[in-house]
Amino acid sequence: MEKTINLTLKVWRQANPQDAGRFEVYEAHDISTDASFLEMLDVVNERLEREGKEPIAFDHDCREGICGMCGAVINGQAHGAEKETTLCQLHMRKFKNGDTLVIEPWRSKAFPIIKDLVVDRSAFDRIIASGGYITVRTGQAPEAHTMLVPQPNAEKSFDAAACIGCGACVAACPNASAMLFVSAKISQLALLPQGQPERWDRVRIMVEKMDEEGFGNCSNHYECEAACPKNIKVSNIARLNRDHLWASIRAKLRG
Amino acid sequence: MGNSVLKRSIMKKQIVAISGLLLIGFLFAHLAGNMLLFGPPEGINEYAQKLQELGPILWLFRIGLALTFAVHISFTLWVALENRAARSGRYAVSNDRGGTDFATKTMVYSGLLIAVYLLLHLSDFAFGDHYGEATIVAGAETEESLGLYGLIWNSFIQPWRVVVYVFAVGVVGLHVSHGLQSFIQTLGFANDDVLPVLKTVSRIVGLLIALGYAAIPIYMIVRHYTIGIGA
Ligand code: HEM
Ligand code: FES
Repeated sequence: MEKTINLTLKVWRQANPQDAGRFEVYEAHDISTDASFLEMLDVVNERLEREGKEPIAFDHDCREGICGMCGAVINGQAHGAEKETTLCQLHMRKFKNGDTLVIEPWRSKAFPIIKDLVVDRSAFDRIIASGGYITVRTGQAPEAHTMLVPQPNAEKSFDAAACIGCGACVAACPNASAMLFVSAKISQLALLPQGQPERWDRVRIMVEKMDEEGFGNCSNHYECEAACPKNIKVSNIARLNRDHLWASIRAKLRG
Repeated sequence: MGNSVLKRSIMKKQIVAISGLLLIGFLFAHLAGNMLLFGPPEGINEYAQKLQELGPILWLFRIGLALTFAVHISFTLWVALENRAARSGRYAVSNDRGGTDFATKTMVYSGLLIAVYLLLHLSDFAFGDHYGEATIVAGAETEESLGLYGLIWNSFIQPWRVVVYVFAVGVVGLHVSHGLQSFIQTLGFANDDVLPVLKTVSRIVGLLIALGYAAIPIYMIVRHYTIGIGA
């Protein structure tokens, strides 16, 4: 038998970036505990539409935890309280009948709110575009074994590459810092031979871009790691810190 | 590009970290000197005398220390103001996830309390009169000045001063309990294996600093109310 629960939602409603925004209260009745959080919102939205009201805007795409589009702060926690889980993978069985859920968008100067729970995360794209790539000549792919990668580096690089850029780290950081995101993007390349030629320029350019976009500074609260649905570690931030330090010294030495 | 390096977030944090570590170094050196207060008055008085005799070297050291404080405070406030600006509107509900802790969340406040207490502390002891009325201890074997020792003794037999001092060094310990591991992470020497160990070590060091400093006024006031200064 399918089990259902009733919830009270306090949802942030904001018509456009200029609107001041406010919370509105909705009753979500007969929500299947098998539903995901986004499916729960779908149900609420269908009812709103039937009543001729504006549905709650939220971002989503894959709904299987790999694209990084979804995300909202549920009762003060980015993507909700479940560890290593995106909002789309959060199931309603984690909630109790009668719970009140406060649902808010990511709140960061660098992520302006577009509408309701949807924020503009193109600041992340601009950081990637500034230096989060490697330059390769096109043509035949070289034989894989000509470029050796130590096993631990391959593992760590792959772990960093698991970042889906959802922005939960920024949302969870008391300073709205993007250090976990940037450090993952730096690390995935800094740990591989292909990332070496541009390594020291990349870190300086990407950090400069990160600052320019208006993210805060890291104060080592480590809330980002705790909130990350992909378990990106703050050891990446340590790597970013030392790479940036060395890159700055190196730039001075070279003039 | 060259002069913009200082403005970069990571650089600012690393300047905070290095100045912070220098201050921790000073805390240990200062504590070691203060341990002389457990001995007879001559110990600390001669030590203070020797420091005075260093003359210009002492001043060089004082200026260096003042600069370190100035750099640490101005960069932390700069960073803190930027961080506040980076958050657009507060969350209606905020809930930690187990990453942060009390010491981390209160760094700005513990820091500011330290700065306020520091001014009081300097005017009391460092710039207080080491030979005047206030250095004569009632009930001591001699009616002459007990120098710096006498000044400190007379201060720490007043319960409210002991309370203020113990609270202040508790705040210092709290600040260091986050600061030490934060320093290592900020300079980039931490990894997944060492970070949990560093956090524990950092808390222990913070606690030791607080206990070490707090022991002195507690020793003095207990002695005052029991065996007295003479014995
Ligand atoms: C005995 C004096 C002090 C010591 C030993 C000390 C030590 C430290 C250390 C080691 C850090 C960590 C560095 C990092 O990685 O970020 C730190 C951070 C900090 N200190 Fe101090 N400090 C002292 C005094 C002060 C004062 C007077 C202030 C006044 C405002 C202050 C404010 C801060 C703040 C706000 C941070 C955190 C910065 C951030 O994480 O963004 N500290 N301190
Ligand atoms: S919708 Fe793709 S990660 Fe949630």
